[in-house]
Amino acid sequence: MTPVVSTRNLSVAYGDRLALEYVTFELIRPAFLSIVGPNASGKTTLLKALLGIVEPLTGSIEVLGYKVPNDKYKVRKLVGYVPQRERIDPTKPVLVKDVVLMGRVAKKGWGRGLSREDYEAAKRALKAVEMEAFWDEPYVHLSGGQQQRVLIARALAVEPKLLLLDEPLSGVDAATQDVILRVLREEANRGVTVIMVTHDLNPLMELSDYVMLLNRTVIAFGKTHEVLNEELLAKTFMRRISIVKAEEKIIVSGVDYHA
Amino acid sequence: MLDIFSYPFVWKALVAIIIAAVVSSVVGTFTVLRGFSTLSAAITHSSFAGASIAVIYGVNPLLGALALSFGFSGLTAYASSTNERKADVVIGMIFGFSTALAVLFLSIASTYTAAAWSFIIGDVLGVSWIDLYTLIIVAVAALGIIALLYKEFKFITFDPEAAEAMGLRVSAYHYIMVFLIALFSVVAIKVVGVILAIVLLIAPAASAYEFSHDLEHMLVISMIIALIAGVLGFFLSLIFNIASSAFIGIAVSIAYLIALVVSPKRRKCREIAKCRIVKEV
Repeated sequence: MTPVVSTRNLSVAYGDRLALEYVTFELIRPAFLSIVGPNASGKTTLLKALLGIVEPLTGSIEVLGYKVPNDKYKVRKLVGYVPQRERIDPTKPVLVKDVVLMGRVAKKGWGRGLSREDYEAAKRALKAVEMEAFWDEPYVHLSGGQQQRVLIARALAVEPKLLLLDEPLSGVDAATQDVILRVLREEANRGVTVIMVTHDLNPLMELSDYVMLLNRTVIAFGKTHEVLNEELLAKTFMRRISIVKAEEKIIVSGVDYHA
Repeated sequence: MLDIFSYPFVWKALVAIIIAAVVSSVVGTFTVLRGFSTLSAAITHSSFAGASIAVIYGVNPLLGALALSFGFSGLTAYASSTNERKADVVIGMIFGFSTALAVLFLSIASTYTAAAWSFIIGDVLGVSWIDLYTLIIVAVAALGIIALLYKEFKFITFDPEAAEAMGLRVSAYHYIMVFLIALFSVVAIKVVGVILAIVLLIAPAASAYEFSHDLEHMLVISMIIALIAGVLGFFLSLIFNIASSAFIGIAVSIAYLIALVVSPKRRKCREIAKCRIVKEV
């Protein structure tokens, strides 16, 4: 069976700085994977390598049956991508509907106008993140959490086979986190492969099917309950991490999210 | 005053100014939003060099401007698509090198003074029929490309990282955007000259930005400002017998100053009742 996503001995360097070293993992079927690690551990680089945005120094990548970087444009047409919100200048003059429709634009050939189907898909996606009332609102008028939801709606609007999200839970309140994670879980249940990069471990416990602990190389990869233990987390974050049980919930503490 | 319209050169000049205003406002909007102001200055100076070389060989200076600004815009686009610090240096070098080329060739040319002056400050009253046809073709090409790729440009302008990740060939669009600035510089060199081209490109769009929360509004406001400044500058130049580029440059600069002062985006609320509340989900 062809895996949905796989890398074998993947290494990536920026100039003379090694960002990823011999990363090997495989997702056999669509699932929800969280990639966890400290800052500068190569999480974003791994997402970029899967899309062929950065070239591998060693190793091979296969995504949705295509070799990357050779078939990177075929892969990108099947992907919904959410960048780190902080990288976007929110003061650019665009409305919420413009942002959500951008995803649809990317999947069309140049010069082809947006159809009613595109508008309907965009509205459905915005509704999924509970932001449909903001369709005509300027993007800059939204709070950080609302902007994050709109960016997720843009990725959903393309009806992707693979959703890649870079720190979607960063700097958003608990209510927004709940909405985001619910939507992502629903997408995974529908057969979409969801790969999310995050610092925040606690929401993953019940929602993520698999977790990859990454610190330049794969420290651990497996089912969430197998991987999230104190020893592996300490090895990943290079500090003591505590896992405690409280009212049937597992809580991770000791990760410095802003380190 | 109305008698002046009986002269064809006045009509030709007015049409050239309107073309320059429309192209500058549309290309300028993307230039401002993508932060390409310095890059644009380098390209307009390379069109200056191209026009100067064309003078030597007896070719229409606009064609020379087109050729060299295209060549240098390719280099500029390459530099700006790599790392930022390198881009800054390369753009600075192109700026200096193309100006040096222009000075060199104009020094060689026998028509040095007149030609140089017309490229530097523009010569809208000297627009010939061939110039006008060239401007129209260039403007139609620039506006046609933007109309065709508008949605893609909007995505890349807002979020180039996601645009790349979701399948747009951002690098190719980047080159096209920089070539559009080259097309604008060809239009501008005849109408306002190389020095004021940059202010005509940047000021209307930057002013419009202060009043716009969506791109279409920004384009329309930018166009209105550029057209008013262009036409007003032209008539003032006729009345006072001074180069129209001076009045156009001053008008768009004043528009920007006013925009900064009255900008709703920069307004601060001094009472709670007058503050805007972020709408809750």
